[in-house]
Amino acid sequence: MQTVLSIGIDALAYGMILFVISIGLSVTMGLMRVVNLAHGAFAMIGGYLASYAARDLGLHYGLAVLLAVVGTIAIAIPVERFLYRRIYGASELTQVLMTIGITFCVIGIANFVFGPTLKTVPLPPSLSGSVDLGFRSIAIHRLFAIGAGLVVAFALWFLIERTSFGIRIRAAVDNAAMAAALGVRTEIVYAISFAVAIGLAALGGVLGAELLPVEPYYALRYMVTFLVVVSIGGAGSISGALVACLLLGAIDTTGRYLAPEYGEFFFYLAVIVIVTLFPRGLMGRLK
Amino acid sequence: MRTQDGSSRGLVQALADRGIFGILIIILVGIAGYYLLPNNLALLTRITATALLVLSIDLVTGYCGVATLGHAALFGAGAYGAGIASAHFGINEPISMTLIGAAAGALAGLISGFVILRAHGLAQLVLSIAVVHLAHEAANKASGWTGGSDGLSGIAPGAIFGVFEFDLWGRTAYVYGIVLLVLVFALLKILVRSPFGMLARGVREDSLRIAAMGASAHSVQMRMYVISGIVAGIGGALSAISTQVVGLDSLSFTLSAQSLVMLVLGGVGSLYGAIIGTVVFMFFEDTVSAANPFHWLTIVGALLILVVLFAPKGLYGSAIALSSRLTRRKSA
Amino acid sequence: MRKLLTTVFALAVMSGAAYADTIKVGVIGPFSGPFALQGKNFKAGIDAFFAINGNKVGDNQIEVVYRDVPTADPAKSKAFAQELIVKEGVQYLAGFYFTPDAMAAAPLLQQGNVPMVVMNAATSAIVSASPNVVRTSFTTWQTATPIAKVAKEAGASKMITLVSDYGPGIDAENAFKTAFEKEGGKVVESIRMPLNTNDFAPLMQRVKDSGAEALFTFLPSGPPTLAFVKAYNDNGLKTAGIKFYATGDLTQESDLPALADAGVGLQTSFHYAVSHDSPENKAFVAAAEKAIGNPAELSFPAVGAFDGMYVISKMVEATKGKQDAATAVAAVKGLAWTSPRGPVVIDAESRHITQNIYLREVAKDASGKYYNKEIRTFEKQGDPGLAAAKK
Repeated sequence: MQTVLSIGIDALAYGMILFVISIGLSVTMGLMRVVNLAHGAFAMIGGYLASYAARDLGLHYGLAVLLAVVGTIAIAIPVERFLYRRIYGASELTQVLMTIGITFCVIGIANFVFGPTLKTVPLPPSLSGSVDLGFRSIAIHRLFAIGAGLVVAFALWFLIERTSFGIRIRAAVDNAAMAAALGVRTEIVYAISFAVAIGLAALGGVLGAELLPVEPYYALRYMVTFLVVVSIGGAGSISGALVACLLLGAIDTTGRYLAPEYGEFFFYLAVIVIVTLFPRGLMGRLK
Repeated sequence: MRTQDGSSRGLVQALADRGIFGILIIILVGIAGYYLLPNNLALLTRITATALLVLSIDLVTGYCGVATLGHAALFGAGAYGAGIASAHFGINEPISMTLIGAAAGALAGLISGFVILRAHGLAQLVLSIAVVHLAHEAANKASGWTGGSDGLSGIAPGAIFGVFEFDLWGRTAYVYGIVLLVLVFALLKILVRSPFGMLARGVREDSLRIAAMGASAHSVQMRMYVISGIVAGIGGALSAISTQVVGLDSLSFTLSAQSLVMLVLGGVGSLYGAIIGTVVFMFFEDTVSAANPFHWLTIVGALLILVVLFAPKGLYGSAIALSSRLTRRKSA
Repeated sequence: MRKLLTTVFALAVMSGAAYADTIKVGVIGPFSGPFALQGKNFKAGIDAFFAINGNKVGDNQIEVVYRDVPTADPAKSKAFAQELIVKEGVQYLAGFYFTPDAMAAAPLLQQGNVPMVVMNAATSAIVSASPNVVRTSFTTWQTATPIAKVAKEAGASKMITLVSDYGPGIDAENAFKTAFEKEGGKVVESIRMPLNTNDFAPLMQRVKDSGAEALFTFLPSGPPTLAFVKAYNDNGLKTAGIKFYATGDLTQESDLPALADAGVGLQTSFHYAVSHDSPENKAFVAAAEKAIGNPAELSFPAVGAFDGMYVISKMVEATKGKQDAATAVAAVKGLAWTSPRGPVVIDAESRHITQNIYLREVAKDASGKYYNKEIRTFEKQGDPGLAAAKK
């Protein structure tokens, strides 16, 4: 029983970290219909900025996180203006080509600027170490990530479902021409959604850095994981992504506990079963 | 549009459609490569093997509208099929090894088609990724047969027809590769122009209408997947024969993604596009990575971005669009 | 007029002579992609060798040609090896981070009359692939064997092994198990972890449940090592007194700043620590740090590359610059010298390097820098893996 509970906690923590890292991609793919394979690249930029701010400049953790999010968005704005705007509405394959191209460039530049070593974001004393739950101990940072994931999920849900901006996003997604005719400035809506998605990517990159340390190849290394999460949750669905992450976290964690040798088989077989049963994702917005 | 040279252009067009030009060009470029780059034949053979993989992706992606990031599973099946036949069963005759590779590819095509064709769009992409990861893991686990991550060594292909030995310069492997490519290209040209090929295109354009016509979209895609598996399997076998080592990379997600990139770069939905994309990408990669082994990835990335910006239909697709726009303007 | 012609002729002869004196070495390694750090270390080791010894052997100038194979890719490696031999005219092939890449190039060596100096790839069998192969790095068997003795002497009798599920990991598992059982201990459980495992918390639960007193692990250097060590600390294994042993791949110097305090006290066994105290190593580290640019990036592949260049320079000396693989390889069989890592010798029979393996502990120096502190030496270790494979 104790073991089951313990595995459950690990699954929850891992799932929430997956959620924080992947949710930005769900926004770009579901709301903006862009297969953004460069998601990991932006998460990595966020991680690098935070690492630089906290480690080399010695700034406070919170400030470093903020700087990473704002800085990554600032870098992404010209990219959106000059590159992404050309592929809204293009075929998926064209989007794949463009975003892989961007990813390659970012990897090369990161390798040149920061070098190939691992970078971490040093935690403040209040977040490092672990707490004793009575039957086991857990890293405080993981509890923090769980909390952050819940806050992000709620805030996004509120933004999309309850604000006038959310209405405009949904209108622009469902029928851009009609939305434009009704006075929605779709270009601005798209730019803001993109900024939100990139900010989330950066945040995920920073919060996940304890588990997925930042290095140049980060941009490609975890791409498959992000894609799997988004497709299982259903692109564009916040609650879907949350459920998907918890489910995948549970499958992955249990699989690795019960049969680590076959962990990979476990995970991908489960993915095949879920995707076959729910081809639009658990709670998909895409038709 | 209609000009006096219409009939001669019609003839040219007809020849082009039947792929006569394509075959001639492949043979000519093949011969030119042999004499111009005699010291780079291993690279050219690698390009040939990859071209077969990219052609095979084009069959399902370009002609049937199936998105896949897991096609290396078919290529790797061919490579391991041919490799295991030689290393474990002593079948060292290259043509038999190729046929075994083709059969293994077809089987892998059948299995992955069975899984991948259950969904569409993003879900399909993810299924294809799952398939290639499972294949990769299976090969890693079965290290007794595959050599695992150390690679399958001990592949010793004999001489072709008992005459042409595989040598240090890779001449035999290269000529064999070009012959395979020409044969496959010719057969595929016939295939895509056949009623079956038309049906496949119809599935891509409007699968509902095809279903209304009484044909099963699923069975068309399934058959195409098996054919695609044969082509990829031949590519894999060629790679195993010429390299004499098969690594897990031949079953990797990376290879799948890279070859899809090559296809999109050249132009989806055309056999010429597939080959041009492969040749351009691999030559470009080879040149820039030799010039700067440390930071070439940035330049390759920039190339991809430029292609999307200035040749959105891929190199071949955009070149055709441009030339037809020019001729239209001239005749107008 | 006549004078002019003579000058032109003389110039032509001289330039021709200069050309013939340049000996090319083709180095294949991962210079971009996920293992770019290791490739960078190859180059740093080679540059350090030139910085200390110059790039001339006798009258012969040595020139290095680099080719990038980012991840294990035998087809690419073979294509490059062939191009280097027949087009670039290299007399020596070197580098090779991954086993399959070395295996793919090995069949070319005899026909091409080229020796291969393996600077990293650590599977025992590579030296058997061709009589022209010499290795200056290590094998996983070689580094994993001594630490079993350390664990047993520290009081562990029941242990669990966790290794990455691929060739080198399985080598490490077998090596450790063999050695530990020979010492009279028992491996109660052997877990193989998929290579792209991100979260190790469930595995730590397995370790706890197994009742083992200590764990041995092998992970390739890179991102997962960090997550593994953090999981070990965060899940209370450290406080529960379960001891941690690994090979030095896990605590390579370039990963230590990221591990930070979480790594302090970890004991690993390896053939080289950047902190090794000897005049040879001081000179090497100074040159290599300069070559690599950022001293924090310096790691073990650099010393394999440095010694590889030493071996090649001896080969050039023995052949007087002529292309003669058999003489070159024969000349270095039994070659002994003092490497930055300590005394080493190329075993005449296996052509693999015999060397000291050190037990090290991660420590923090006065300036706050983390390093591997050598605390015990196992002298003259050969490769037990080759013998095990022959059985």
